[in-house]
Amino acid sequence: MRRQSVILGLLLGPVTLFLGVFFLLPLLIIALFSVLTPGLYGGVEWAFYHWNYGRVFGWADGITEIYEPVYLSILFRSLGFAAMTVGICLLLCYPVAFWVSRLPQRWRLVFLFLITLPFFSSLIVRLYAWLLILKPSGLLNGVLMATGLVEAPLEILYTPAAVVLGMVYVMIPFMFLPLYGAIDNLDRAQVEASLDLGATRVQTFVKVMLPQTLPGIMGGAVIVFIPSVGNFIVPDVLGGAKGLMIGNLVEQQFLSARNWPFGAALSMIIMSVVLVVLLTAVTRARKRSDTR
Amino acid sequence: MRNPLGWAALTLFSLLFFAFIYAPLFVIVGYSFNANPVNMMIWEGFTLDWYTGLFGLTERSMDANSRAAYIESTDQMLAALRNSLFVAVFTTTIATVMGTATAIALARFRFRGRRLYDGFLMLPMMMPDIVLGIGLLIFFVTLGMQLSLLTIIIGHCTFLTSYVFIIVQARMAGLDPALEEASADLGASEWVTLRKVLLPQLAPGIMGGALLAFVISMDDLVITYFVSGTGDTTLPVFIFGMIRRGVKPEINAIATLLILASVAIAALGLWLRSRKTD
Amino acid sequence: MTALLEIRGARREFVTPEGGRLAALDGVDLDVGANEFVTLLGPSGCGKTTLLRAVSGFETLDGGTIRLDGADIAALPPFRRPVNTVFQSYALFGHMTVARNVGYALEVQGVPRATYEAEVAAALEKVGLSGLGGRKPSQLSGGQRQRVALARAIIAKPRLLLLDEPLSALDRNLRQQMQIELKALQHRLGIAFVFVTHDQEEALTMSDRIVVMRAGRIEQIGTPRDIYRQPKNRFVAEFIGETNLFPVLVERIEGATALARTDAGVVLAIPAEGRRAGERVTAILRPTDLALAGEGIRGTVTRAVYLGADLHLFVQPAAGGPEISVTTRDVASLPATGETVHLAHDPARVHLLAEA
Repeated sequence: MRRQSVILGLLLGPVTLFLGVFFLLPLLIIALFSVLTPGLYGGVEWAFYHWNYGRVFGWADGITEIYEPVYLSILFRSLGFAAMTVGICLLLCYPVAFWVSRLPQRWRLVFLFLITLPFFSSLIVRLYAWLLILKPSGLLNGVLMATGLVEAPLEILYTPAAVVLGMVYVMIPFMFLPLYGAIDNLDRAQVEASLDLGATRVQTFVKVMLPQTLPGIMGGAVIVFIPSVGNFIVPDVLGGAKGLMIGNLVEQQFLSARNWPFGAALSMIIMSVVLVVLLTAVTRARKRSDTR
Repeated sequence: MRNPLGWAALTLFSLLFFAFIYAPLFVIVGYSFNANPVNMMIWEGFTLDWYTGLFGLTERSMDANSRAAYIESTDQMLAALRNSLFVAVFTTTIATVMGTATAIALARFRFRGRRLYDGFLMLPMMMPDIVLGIGLLIFFVTLGMQLSLLTIIIGHCTFLTSYVFIIVQARMAGLDPALEEASADLGASEWVTLRKVLLPQLAPGIMGGALLAFVISMDDLVITYFVSGTGDTTLPVFIFGMIRRGVKPEINAIATLLILASVAIAALGLWLRSRKTD
Repeated sequence: MTALLEIRGARREFVTPEGGRLAALDGVDLDVGANEFVTLLGPSGCGKTTLLRAVSGFETLDGGTIRLDGADIAALPPFRRPVNTVFQSYALFGHMTVARNVGYALEVQGVPRATYEAEVAAALEKVGLSGLGGRKPSQLSGGQRQRVALARAIIAKPRLLLLDEPLSALDRNLRQQMQIELKALQHRLGIAFVFVTHDQEEALTMSDRIVVMRAGRIEQIGTPRDIYRQPKNRFVAEFIGETNLFPVLVERIEGATALARTDAGVVLAIPAEGRRAGERVTAILRPTDLALAGEGIRGTVTRAVYLGADLHLFVQPAAGGPEISVTTRDVASLPATGETVHLAHDPARVHLLAEA
């Protein structure tokens, strides 16, 4: 039917054009820049250059570019920080999500509102609050010293612990909501049936609850992991030292070192990590839903 | 789960969890009333100076130079706020129209590659913002496009369209397709059906998507950071810069106002959602 | 007389999820007269809804023609067809009042205010909902929503009203009441109704003609009485009402009746006209056509179901073969389970199918 195709074109045309030009094309341009030669004064030369990757992965020739193992360790540190963020978020959110799901309707709505509220408030403001708390002269040290728990201020700010704490703090709502959805969907009668059939609470949790809430856990993990890997705001504000995570490294290439091709190569590495995680999650989820 | 001790422990843990979430916000609010201008960590009495100062109303003892510098930075902040609102309004409008159109198209038309398109629309949302940000930066610079509010709006629309799409799609999925058929059956053309049946039925979803797009656009830091020109910062980028340069007490007042605004917006969202169920 | 609706050779294929092809309509011919009540009846998946949607314009045919008043309407989009539909889910617009729902067809045509309001009031009155125009659909009962959907579909005075299982969501009492009202309304409006259902009782109650469909084809078209008394094949016989089927061998002709015997040995008297000895046919006897008597088919009562005015018995013939079901009046001396009874029938009430 011609009429239908015209309407479909009107609905989808602008979006397709917009995302094609301003989303797909920029991604392709990153891929292209990542194999171009960095120019002398911050520009690029349009010649193929694979040493942008060589610097990271170890095949740099040692003359024009030098292999720096620190880049790989920064990459692994970023992955590690992101994984820790996921793990801590999960451990904090699962019990609370369960608790909220078992509250009377009225209170459930109140606490769900409370969990979504931080999502609506500014990220930078929330990080800034932690800056105030963690500073050597900040609230936490003030309280600790006033109560005599410590004698000298603790150095918490500008440590990896502060970075992970900050990421956990800003990511909590993203972990909580999928988890809550999965736990709330779980048929309460199944839990009761398991207990009725003689399983202990721990057995019931491991054998009934955990498998059935796994999609929520996976969803939350992916949603938390992806923005954490490439994060540069949190390490910048709470991590202090430059180049703590791969995101900081990218930012430096673009705004201070002015080596765009190297920055593009680093972005490509972040993007591949994300794509691998996403594809694994999606295929896993498909497999699970197929076997049902 | 009738284990009173276990339940009590769980309740305690959960309340501590919520305290952990809210304590930092209250810390900011508290400090925003601290009169100490030199070290904001040391309480020196209650003041509203930082709030009145935000709007250039303060009569504090300052020499002419620092006063001028002060007013300048206040002006910059208000300009950043204006930029943020400008960007958010345009982004919300564009992203809402495109996201809604896509949700309708994918729900009501069967065409080749529909599932692929569906997956493609998830990508901008899942792409780390730093990758999208630098991609757009290289793209605009290579094309010779001046970085401005326009480039910020474009940057925001690329991923916020997907957010609106997801929310409207969820609403669309719950809608009886027979409603549109009934409308067509009773003589309404596609356009009339869109106006009189589809859009009113989708309204809660569209409003919710628009609200989310507005909030995220107002709050976006990373993409804006890369694609904003030197003169056109938004509020989050301005605050980020302030934190990097060293904080001044006014920032607590700004932050408190932002927290209040977010509470208001979240409450509005809740109200919209409760209205949907009537 | 030319028909109002003429469907010729309608074909529609769907691709199944497994990649196969499924003919939802496999060459359907159907005529509907100007103020006829026609019911499309069949099990789910028989193509009845696809046929209805092809007429309303929501399905495109792969082959065949649909004419309304002699004009081919295949190319018209749904909103240009002078045909309206009552949807199974009612599809009432939740954001509009009852009155705006009912007046929707006039609203989109741009009918002047005064006419619009008068027509809406009249339509509400026709379905017995006067005074409820200001409510929202969510404030109505199921039966009232059904009436709103009906009023909304008739307000534009369509030539043909299509009803897609409109009563399936109602409870039994309300459904029976609505069946009578629908029939009366159709009579009063003088427009043709095409009604889709899988409920044979509904079809028998309301229709001028019933179209029995299976697997994309029409099995039989006829009046309710034809369909019930003279089914063309086993499928129709078994789909409409309860039936006893006896595959028999004709043994001998005795004047107007013939004697026939099942393989198990049950002997039946059947009409002799056109029969010859040695022929295999299927005899159909409705449960109401059998009666308890002093002689006839001998058997044992295996189960008795009390239905109020009637009693339903299942009788295992002494000769063997499947149980026979019998409906009899609730009389003073009722046979108990395990009791031996005799079943008699009038040979003229036996309907024969050529297939064995």
